[in-house]
Order: sequence, then structure tokens, then C-alpha cells
Amino acid sequence: MRTRIIAAAVFMAAFMPFSVCRAAEELESRLNQLDAELGSQGEIIREQQKTIEGLRAELTKQKEQETPAQEAATPVTKAGGVSGFFGGSALTNPNISLVLDTFAHTSDLKDDELESRGIPGFTTSGLEQQNGFNLRAAELFIFAPVDPYFNLYVNLPVTEDGIELEEAYAVTTALPEGLQAKGGKFKSNFSRLNAQHPHTWDFYDIALPYRAFLGDEGLGGEKGVQLTWLPAWPVYTQFGAEALQGENDLLFGADAANGPHAFSLFVKASVDTTDNSTLYFGPSVLFGKTKTENIVDGAELDGESALYGLEAVWKWKPQPRQGLTLQGEYLYLDQDGDLTDAETGDVESLCRRQDGFYVQGIYQLNRWRFGARYDALELLADSFKRAGEKENLGETPWRATGSVEFNPSEFTRIRLQYNHDESGRDDRSNDEAILQFLFGIGAHAAHTF
Amino acid sequence: MRNIILGLFLPLLLTTPALADMNIVATLPWIGSLAREIGGDQVTVTTLVKPNQDPHFLEAKPSMIIAARKADMIIYNGLDLEIGYLPIVLESARNPKIVPGKPGNFDCSRFVHVIEKPTAVDRSMGDIHPLGNPHYHFSPANVLRVAQGMADVLADLDRTHVDFYRQNFKGFAAKVEAHRKQWESVNLKGKEFVAYHRNFEYLAAEFGFRIVDYIEPKPGIPPSASHIENLIEDMKSDKPIGILVTPGYGLKESESLSARTGAKVVILPQDVGAMPGTDDWFAFMDTVLAALR
Repeated sequence: MRTRIIAAAVFMAAFMPFSVCRAAEELESRLNQLDAELGSQGEIIREQQKTIEGLRAELTKQKEQETPAQEAATPVTKAGGVSGFFGGSALTNPNISLVLDTFAHTSDLKDDELESRGIPGFTTSGLEQQNGFNLRAAELFIFAPVDPYFNLYVNLPVTEDGIELEEAYAVTTALPEGLQAKGGKFKSNFSRLNAQHPHTWDFYDIALPYRAFLGDEGLGGEKGVQLTWLPAWPVYTQFGAEALQGENDLLFGADAANGPHAFSLFVKASVDTTDNSTLYFGPSVLFGKTKTENIVDGAELDGESALYGLEAVWKWKPQPRQGLTLQGEYLYLDQDGDLTDAETGDVESLCRRQDGFYVQGIYQLNRWRFGARYDALELLADSFKRAGEKENLGETPWRATGSVEFNPSEFTRIRLQYNHDESGRDDRSNDEAILQFLFGIGAHAAHTF
Repeated sequence: MRNIILGLFLPLLLTTPALADMNIVATLPWIGSLAREIGGDQVTVTTLVKPNQDPHFLEAKPSMIIAARKADMIIYNGLDLEIGYLPIVLESARNPKIVPGKPGNFDCSRFVHVIEKPTAVDRSMGDIHPLGNPHYHFSPANVLRVAQGMADVLADLDRTHVDFYRQNFKGFAAKVEAHRKQWESVNLKGKEFVAYHRNFEYLAAEFGFRIVDYIEPKPGIPPSASHIENLIEDMKSDKPIGILVTPGYGLKESESLSARTGAKVVILPQDVGAMPGTDDWFAFMDTVLAALR
């Protein structure tokens, strides 16, 4: 046994130098090969480095030529060193953007006439704009993911009267089966214009049926919860339901009932009609308890309301900077309740079946956009019954609008708009012109469809 | 009534795609082409942007959201090229598989050696890409790296076909090498061009030509008359041999500049499928280099 091991050891020892020698030779040739390869790669890298440096030099040169003023004012951050206000990383700072919405206004009506210009049979609230210079708001948006489960969005319009909390809500990001929940204070997805912020409207002002049924900014931010479902179907179809506090002071009213007393249901569907065009449409309803003094002068309505909506949008975009958007909505109000006179305390019934609609078109060509809109109330339904008697409120309210926009960049909008407004029912039209300026800075959130 | 409702909804439920495939959503056509090369018949690819659409000016459409809703993986260019629509698509799709941070959220630019990263940027400089030039699909070296990253992630997400994806990548790499000889036979070293937009910097860097001037004074800002006059003066002395432009963006301006300077207009497809005979990424690169010849 031992001899065998010794024999094997001797055998191995005899061959070792030979095999080591061969291995060393092989290693050397491979090393040489690698060396050559490395050399040629180094050459390539050096060449690329040269190109990159050339490009970099060119870029800095160009920038110096282009924007000397800004260059001096902008602090130069070290490449790769993303740092926050307190020296933290980008993670510690949410996305922030600010949109300034300001305009000049002229009308053949005086300021006090504008202020008292309601729509008889719909709203007693007048118009907010004044002749001359106006500042609507500097809207502050703050948004960021909270954690892997929620995103948070806050919208704070800063006006001359102070800061409002228009929206502040969290949205789930990890629910299964296409479900998403939203909670906090938010703009309802009932119909279309409601969920849009004023600076994204296609015109300076909201469409007439919105003003008539919901107020100047639509339903506005409402406290509540929303649940939506987007099933994995071939066609985009979203279903949604909301429970809201119901504080809108035209359709609902904070004191109308205890707890949440406004609810909405909606469906949104969309198909691409061609590669370059898309249709988006859906019905929705908003209903709940109502207690408001803003429908009839000097009287309070206590009752129930349901507002039905139908929206349709068609967008066509044949070229990167050319497109046409056609959009229309129809709203129908069904409202019943008791109307109490503020002075005498007399109570009579009020029963409303009224409707309204608008159609609009926007044509974009390069940096220009041209818009036209027609809106009217009482198209098919004009019933306003007090104590069972249908009232004659006068001429049908309507308005026609034309606009021209110049958008020097994505972040600036200059809009000239003209309204011929016959919604006052008093034989006095409001012919007004608005020159509006919108500027946006900061994180730019992508626009919804 | 119930029958009508059932009749409406049943077909919708039944046409849900088969579960065997990986459902991939690609933002741009070249990414779709690459995903088909690597994924083969194990993937179904939906491309969000049509070849003739400019990715800079796109809006989110509900059809994009529904595609992302059903995706196992979303693959995008990155470097903020899709900033105008991708965030809202990801946010609205309610698909936990493709949110940032998950392997199903695949940013191709992570594998790219990015050029033209500005050190300081604000919007007075125009619609500049703050993370660097995003048009790297003209660069075979970078696309090869993206393809490898894609194969790795696909193999990770679909473990039953690991070898299949690896094999497809090897095939792709070999095809790139085969085409590269033909591409490099076009001698562009040291040649000078003018371009409308900063689309072709990777192409220039990789094939050795130079872009000496741009018709757009700043990215996204159309040229003024005085900028064009200055440019014509510069072009008289520099004598670039051509003006590089895509069919859909700045062609008119390029043609009028060509008429006034004598430099020929070289129309290059912006992406796969944007011009006839560019149906996949290889055909696209073939067309690009043939046009530069």
C-alpha cells in the first residue's frame, strides 16, 4: 500500500514541472493576447473620451454664447451631486410647481353690475372678475410618493385673500385588480371640467352649465373618499364612486345634513378611433341633500338634488404640433325641496328640471391655439316650479366665446378671449375681453387626457 | 336586459390575452423592435408611440393606460423623454408590477453611456433634457448594452425561459456584429453636418462625424429669421455637407435652408417604422447609414 502511494507521488513529482511549464506557457500567451486586446480597447476608450470631451467643450461654449445672464445666476451643482435644500437627497424633497394665473379684463358692464350678475333661476352669485388688472391665483402644487403604498397630492391656490387648501389627498398605488382609492379633499371626477384645475381649462372661464349648477369653479375641492376600478379589458373603461361631505354652496351646502351627504357615480370609456385620434366619453351622476340660499334671492332651499352629466371628447393629432379637440357636455338637474323666505318665514315648494350644455373646439397649429365655444341653458328642460306654478324666467341664457392663444413654450400661455354673454336674462349682454397670462415653473406634472 | 349586458361584457372578458406570454409594453417603436428580438415568441409587445409621432409632444391617452394596466413589464427610453405622458400612464394604470423600483419597470437608459449631460440647467435654455441626450437608439454600442440588460430582466421575470432569452441575446449580438461591418463601410470620419434638432449626437459620436450647428436655436424653440441669417453666414464658411432632419419635425425649415445654402437635406427616420423599409431596428440603422452615404 505504502509503496503504491510513494510510486504515485514520484510519478506526480516527475510530471509536475512539465505540466506547470505548459500551464505557464499557455498563461503567458493568453496574457499577451489580453494585453493586445486591452491595448486596442484602451485606444477605443481614449478615442471615445476625446469625442466626449470635444462634445462637452462644445456644449459649454454654446451655453456661454447662448445664456450668459442665466448662467451667472444659476448655481453650478457638481455633476451627480443631487442635493436638497437642507443638503439631503432628492428623496427628502417633494415635487413642487407653481402656476401664476393673471389677467386683464374689460367689459361694457361696470364692476358692480358684474358682481351682481347672477343667472335668474340658477344662481344668485355674480362674476368675480373686475375691469382692469386681476390676479386669479398663484397655484402651488406639491406631490410625491409617501411610501410604496400611497402618493400624496396637495394643491394650494394662493390668492390675495390668502391661502386656500383646494386639494389634499392620498391615492393608493398598490391595490390589486385595477382598484384605486383616494381620500382627503379632492376635485370630484363627476363629469369632465370638475376635476380640471382652472389653469388647464381651454378658456379663461368655466362653461355656463357648470357655473349655473355648481358655481364658478365647478364642485371644487370636497372632503371625502373615492374608489375607482379599471378592469383589464381590451377597451379602457373606468368605474368610479365617491362619498363627499357636500359643502358646495350651490348644489349641496355644509348644513344640508349630518355627515357625508353628496355622492357620485361615473363611468369613463375611451377608444382610439384611428392611430392619431381618440374618443373619450361617459355618463356620471352627482346627488345628495341640498340646503342653500344661493338659488333664489332672499330664500333658502332645503331639499334633494341629482345632477346628471354626459361628457364626450374627441382629440385628433395628425402632426406633433397640430391638432383638433372637440368637446361637449350635457348636464341635467333634478331638484326638489322647500323654499323658506328669509323675511316672512313662508314656505313653498320648489321643483326644478333644468339642463345646460356646451360644445367647444380647439385647433392647435404650432405655438398657436384657436378656440370657439357655445354654451346655453334650458335646451330641453326649463321647468322651474314654485308652489307648483311654472315660472317664466325670461330669455334662454346663452354665451358665445372665441379665443386665440400664443404659447411661446410649454410653460407659458398667453390667451386673448372674447365673450358675448346673454346669461343675465335682463336684456343686458356682457361683452367682455380677457387677456390672460399663465406661467408655470417647477416640477411639471404630466397632463391627463 | 340582462342578456344584453352579458352579451356586451362576455366578449370583453373572453378576449383577455393568453397567460403564457409575457405582456410587454414598449413606449417607442425601437424599444418594441428590440423587445421582439430578445423576447421572441414568448412575449406579446404593445408599442405606445406610433412611428410617425414625435415622443417630445405626446399626451397620455387612455389606450396607453389600459395597455399598461395589463402589462407584465413596461420598457421605456428614460432620460425624461417620456416625461409628458409616462408618469401619468404609470400612475393611472394601477399595476403594481410596473411601478418604479419593480423589475417590471425597465428604464433602458440605465444601460446607456449618456452624453450631453448638462451641468447646470434651467428652462430659459429651452426644452432641454436635463438628464442628457435621450436619443441613443442611433448608437449600436448602447443598444447592445440595453439588449443585454433586457435579456437579463426577462430571464429574471420569466424563469422558465432563461436560456431562451440568453440565446436570443447572443443571436442579437451576432447580428449587430454582422451589420456593423456594413455600417462602418460608410466613411463618415471628420465629415460635418448641420442638424435641426439634437437627435443625432450618438450617431455622430459613434461613426465619427461632427454636427457643427443646429437650426433650432434652443431645443424645442423654432428658429427666428435672424438665427437663420446667422446660420447661413456660418454655413458659408463651415461648408457642412448636409442638413440632418427627421421627416416629421423641421423638414420645411431644413429644405428652405438647403435652398439658400446648397447643403443637401438628409432625411433620417427618427425611429423604427418612421420611413418605408425601417420595420425593425436593423433595417432602421441600415436606412440611416445608407442615407448618410
